[in-house]
Amino acid sequence: MKFPRPRRILLYVLLILFAFAYLLPFWTCITTSFKTEKAVIETVPVQPASPTLEPWMEALDIMGRPLLNSLTFTLFATIFSCFIGSINGYVLSKIRFKGSDIIFLFFSIGIFIPYQTVLIPLVLTISRLGLYNSIEGLILTHTAYGIPICTLLFRNFYKDVPDSLIMAAKTDGAGTLTIYRRILLPLSSAPFVVAGVFQFTSIWNDFLFGLVLARGSEALPASVALANLRGTTTAFWNVQMAGALWYALPVIIVYLILGKYLMSGYMAGAVKG
Amino acid sequence: MVNVVIKNLTKKFGEVIAVKNLDLDIKEKEFFILLGPSGCGKSTALLCVAGLLKPDEGEIWLDNKLVTSPEHDVYVPPQEREVAMVFQDYALYPHMTVFQNIAFPLEVRKKSESEIQKRVKATAELLGISQLLDRKPKQLSGGQRQRVALGRAIVREPKIFLMDEPLANLDAKLRVRMRVELKKLHQKLGTTTVYVTHDQIEAMSIGDMVAVLKDGVLQQVGTPKELYDSPSNTFVGGFIGSPAMNMLEGNLVKKNETLMIDLGVSMFELPTWTEEKMKEAKGSKVVLGFRPEHIALAKKYKKNAIQAKVDMLELIGRELQVHLTAGDCSFVVISTPSEDIKVGENVWMVLDEEKIHIFDAETGETLI
Repeated sequence: MKFPRPRRILLYVLLILFAFAYLLPFWTCITTSFKTEKAVIETVPVQPASPTLEPWMEALDIMGRPLLNSLTFTLFATIFSCFIGSINGYVLSKIRFKGSDIIFLFFSIGIFIPYQTVLIPLVLTISRLGLYNSIEGLILTHTAYGIPICTLLFRNFYKDVPDSLIMAAKTDGAGTLTIYRRILLPLSSAPFVVAGVFQFTSIWNDFLFGLVLARGSEALPASVALANLRGTTTAFWNVQMAGALWYALPVIIVYLILGKYLMSGYMAGAVKG
Repeated sequence: MVNVVIKNLTKKFGEVIAVKNLDLDIKEKEFFILLGPSGCGKSTALLCVAGLLKPDEGEIWLDNKLVTSPEHDVYVPPQEREVAMVFQDYALYPHMTVFQNIAFPLEVRKKSESEIQKRVKATAELLGISQLLDRKPKQLSGGQRQRVALGRAIVREPKIFLMDEPLANLDAKLRVRMRVELKKLHQKLGTTTVYVTHDQIEAMSIGDMVAVLKDGVLQQVGTPKELYDSPSNTFVGGFIGSPAMNMLEGNLVKKNETLMIDLGVSMFELPTWTEEKMKEAKGSKVVLGFRPEHIALAKKYKKNAIQAKVDMLELIGRELQVHLTAGDCSFVVISTPSEDIKVGENVWMVLDEEKIHIFDAETGETLI
């Protein structure tokens, strides 16, 4: 779309204003995280002053283990939920069987169940499995909770893969698993990126499950540790901001790496053209 | 080489009957065509043979082995049928190179690396795509993709080829060329082939045998010549041949001991060879059918000719297609460009009396 010149200038001014408003808190966060405690009190938040790495080190001291915990269960749960979702999506879209629509409906309902409603049964189940306060327990919970949305994503993607591709593979002699492994999986980079980024951010950002399932330090997630940084009586703003930035870093990295693949259309040229 | 026998095949999709009581006997080495307008059930029948669809009733025998029978609870999955299929959209695996696409059926069957190399290369050579082996499908033209799809079917030396409108997505010129190549390939390999198309010209030019389907019901099976010369009903008569057969409804009447068809615009006296067969049918409504090339045009009145007015002339290369009307009916006549005919002129259509068809107007069945 091309706007006439004056309108375009207006558009840019507006966009810059929005960007400014949007980035201001982030900027404040960065400047504060590099300040000494004294500078935090004496200078305006947006102004950088007496730069130091001290708050970052201090935050890492407290958040190091939780960050590692979060990274571990987030990665595993993301991978598991994506793979299971992809297999479900394949079965529900390409292998029609009696009742598959009903099963898919149940999966879809799963997406809309709020976290809070399952908290008590969840805690009971996880603790009876002996997984309370463990990384494994968090992996299991997040995987299970991610399966419905991943299934939906993959099913919708596989639905657009031409049936003739599957039929061709069948007549070529491939069984159900070979078709998945050799045909569908290599074509799935786009939904894997989409589902992967979605799962990674939502699991990484989760607070509630982490709070109720991991009380001790062995499995404490970074989201909970970040909240704990706040302290009870005094607020060390610089340490909190540094902690917040440490916490934001992995998600930013994931977006930087995978962002460009989010839009990729891998299926182009699959069939006639 | 194997044969295919289909007995009483019925396939429903919900309430819709896609194929109804289909019986076919496909001999070994035959290039067998399933022909019909879209939605006539021809692809459904093919998918049942491939094992990609399970029919509701009936039996399918491949190589004298029962592979499908819901009644006897027999169903051999497509993986074990040794049939190869070519799809209308080619269904090439987009993430694989041409080599990998062709090699896929062999890899799945756990053939040795050296055998795969050898067979893929031989197949590529046969189809003239050796220089494309490293490319991905999206880097290929329609015709090249078509060849790769064929290659993937040929490479495993299946017992039967199943082709579902394989040429439908190609442009007209390429389609004609690939048609010839397919036929040559079939002569070279001799593999029994079942080929689905809606294009009657394609069917006539490459088929050994053609089965015409309409609304899931088999209309006629025969060689292209049989279908053309003696269609079993008005549908086959009208579907086969281009331009289509001219058809004109009329009443069968008897006048002075001769059988005639009262066509409304004129009376058509039936030739003597038809009398014997037409005796039982007299008095009923009939359809007179005659092909565009079996009519001569005369400037003056001729006995038993139908008068018509020239509407339009189409000069198509070697032939001149003359469009005429008589009353409410329109006709097409194939004539030669040298013929001196003008638009708006009144002419007489002289039918080749040996080559006329008469159908029952009620049932559409052929009377003669």
